[in-house]
Amino acid sequence: MKNLLGLALSACLLATGCTKSPPASAGADHEGRITVALLPKSKGNAYFISCKAGAEKAAQALGIDLLFDGPTDTDPAKQNEIVENWITLGVDVIAAACDNREGISTALRKAQDRGIKVITYDADALPDARTFFVNQATPEGIAHALMDEAARLLNREGEFAIILATLTAANQQEWRHHIEARLAEKYPKMTLVAVRPCDDLKDKAQSEATALLSAHPNLRLLMNICSPAVPGAAEAVKQAGKVGQVKVIGLGLPNENRRYVKEGVTDSVILWKTEDLGYLTVEAAVALAKGTLKPGDRTFKSGALGEFEIRGDNILLGEPFVFNRENIDQFDF
Amino acid sequence: MSQTPSQSGSSKGALRHEWVLLMVVALEWLYFNSVGPRFGTLENSFDILRHSVEIGLLALVMTPIIISGGIDLSLGSLLGLCAVVFGKLWRDGGFSPAAAATCTLALGAVAGGLNASLITWLRLPPLIVTLGTYSLFRGLAEAITHGADTFTNFPDAFLALGQERFLGVPTQAHLFILVAGVMWLLLHRTTLGRTVRAIGFSPEGARHAGLPVGRRLASVYVLAGLIAALAAIIYTARLGQARADAGTGYELFAITAVVLGGTSIFGGIGTLHGTLLGIAAIAILNNGLVHARLPREAAGVLTGALLLLALSGTVIPQLWNARRARRRRHPAPASPSSPP
Repeated sequence: MKNLLGLALSACLLATGCTKSPPASAGADHEGRITVALLPKSKGNAYFISCKAGAEKAAQALGIDLLFDGPTDTDPAKQNEIVENWITLGVDVIAAACDNREGISTALRKAQDRGIKVITYDADALPDARTFFVNQATPEGIAHALMDEAARLLNREGEFAIILATLTAANQQEWRHHIEARLAEKYPKMTLVAVRPCDDLKDKAQSEATALLSAHPNLRLLMNICSPAVPGAAEAVKQAGKVGQVKVIGLGLPNENRRYVKEGVTDSVILWKTEDLGYLTVEAAVALAKGTLKPGDRTFKSGALGEFEIRGDNILLGEPFVFNRENIDQFDF
Repeated sequence: MSQTPSQSGSSKGALRHEWVLLMVVALEWLYFNSVGPRFGTLENSFDILRHSVEIGLLALVMTPIIISGGIDLSLGSLLGLCAVVFGKLWRDGGFSPAAAATCTLALGAVAGGLNASLITWLRLPPLIVTLGTYSLFRGLAEAITHGADTFTNFPDAFLALGQERFLGVPTQAHLFILVAGVMWLLLHRTTLGRTVRAIGFSPEGARHAGLPVGRRLASVYVLAGLIAALAAIIYTARLGQARADAGTGYELFAITAVVLGGTSIFGGIGTLHGTLLGIAAIAILNNGLVHARLPREAAGVLTGALLLLALSGTVIPQLWNARRARRRRHPAPASPSSPP
C-alpha cells in the first residue's frame, strides 16, 4: 500500500513536472542570463494578464528569463511569501505591483538586503523598498486626457457631468481637482453641472446617470472616472434613447466597454496601454540589473517604445491612451 | 490489546497512516531537491518553516478539537480580529507591543471561551457555533478598521519575532516547537487527551462514564482561541502589518493539515505527530512548486489529490481486511457458488 501511494504521488508530481516545466530552466542559476520576477496584484486579473503579455515580449527581445507569479486567492500574506520564495530562488530583479503597500515592503527590503534589485509598477511600495516605480499615469495626465477628450467631442462648449466612485476616495478627489483646474484654465464655454458618486457600482452608476439625464436636459456628456460607471452610464444613455445626443467617456478597461463603443454609445475609453506597462517594467528591471539605469537618471531609453521621462524615482509611462471605435479591437483586456 | 478507545482505534490504522505520510513527505523532499537547486538549502527550509507557522499553530490546536468530534471554523477569522486588535491597542491605545500582545492573547482566550460556552452550555453543534463566530470575528475586525485601516510601522524589536532569527533559527519557530511539544504532551500523555478521545468516540458514553465532558471540551476551544491569538501576533510581526483580512481561509488549511495527518473527522482518532506531518506535506508542496518552476495553482490540485490519496490509502486496507475477515467467518457453505 505504501509503495502504491508513493508511486502514485511521484507519478503525479512527475506528470506535472514533465508537461509544465521547460526542460532547460530548472534553476535560477543560468549562466549570465538575468532572471526577472514579475509580481501582479492578482494572477487571474485581465489587466495583469495583459501586462504579462507585454513583459513576455520584452523578455524575449532582451533574452532574459521571466517568472510571473501572484496570489490566486485573497490571502494578504501571499505576495510576501512569493517574494520570499524568489529571494531564496536567487532571482536578479523583482518587479512588483503592490497590493499591500506596507506589508510587501518588508519582503522587498529583505530582497534588497540580499542584493536583489527591486522596482515596482502599477501600484507602488514604500519608497525605501524599491529603486524605481514605473508609474503608468500621473493624476494630471489622467485628468487632462479626460478633459481634453471631452472638449474635443463637444467642440469646447456645453454642459457635462461627472460620475465618480466616492466623493472621499483620495485618487478620485485628486483627479476631480485636476479636471476642474483644466476646465477653468482652457475651456471657458464648458460647464460642469453635477458630480455624482456611484460607490463603484455599475447599477448605481446607471441610476445616477438616468437621474442626471432627466434633471439636466441640456447635458451633452457624461464623464465617468471610475471603471464600473462607464458601462453603467452607457446603459442609461442607451435606455433613455439619447445615443449620440449625450456622449459617454470614461476611465475603464476596453473589454468592459467594447459593446457600447461598437454600438456608438460610448465614444472613448481612456486608460494606458497595459502591455506597454509590462514591457517597460521588464526593460527597466533589466537595465537596473545591468547598471545602465541608475538612481538620478532623468530619462530612460527603451529599445522598442522610445524614450521615457523619469521624474524623481518615477519612470513615467506617459500620456494615457484613448480607446475608441477605430482601435478598440486591437486590444483584449 | 487493551480495550481503551485510544489504543484500539488509533494504534494500528493511524500508525500505518503516519508512515505513509512520512514517505510522502520524504518523496516530496527528494523530488523537489532534485529539480530545484536551492530547494534543499537551510535558508529555504527556514522559509518553509516561517511560512507555515501560523497555519501550523492553528492545525495544532485544531487537532484535539477534531479528535473530540468537533470543528472550529472561526480560527482564521479570530486570527484577523486579534491582529487588528493588537494593531489598534499598539497604535491608538498607546500600549507597548508586549502589553498589546498580552491583551490580544487574553482576547483570543475569551473568544475561544465564547465558542466553548455556546457549544458546552447550549449544546449547539460546533459547526454551527463556529460558523456564526466565523462571521462575527471577521465582521468585528472589519468594523474596527472600517475595512480600510492598516496598522503598520511596528518597532523593529517586535518585527524580529516574525522576520529575524534567534539561536540560528527563525524566531517564531521556537514558539511553534514549544506549542507543538505542549500540545503533544496534552494529547498523548494527559487525562485531557484521553478524555478528548473518549468524547470523540462517544460523547454520551463519556458522560455516562462520569467524565467532565463540558469542562474538557471547553478547555480545547479556549486553548484554540489563545493559540489563534498567538498566531495573529506572529503573523503581524512577519508581515509588518495588521489588516482585517489577515488569516482569511486559514481555518480550512488547518483542517486540511489535520485530516491529512490522519485525524478522523468523525472524532476519536488522531495524533499530533500526524498533524505535524500533514503540515509539512502541504508546506513543502507549496514551496517546492516554486523551486520546480511549476505553476502555483498546482498546489491546490496536488494538496487535494494528496488528501484523497492519503485517506483512501488508509481506508482501503481496512476495508480489505474487513472483507477478508468476513469471508473467513462465513466460509464457502453459506453461498453455493464459492468465489474463485
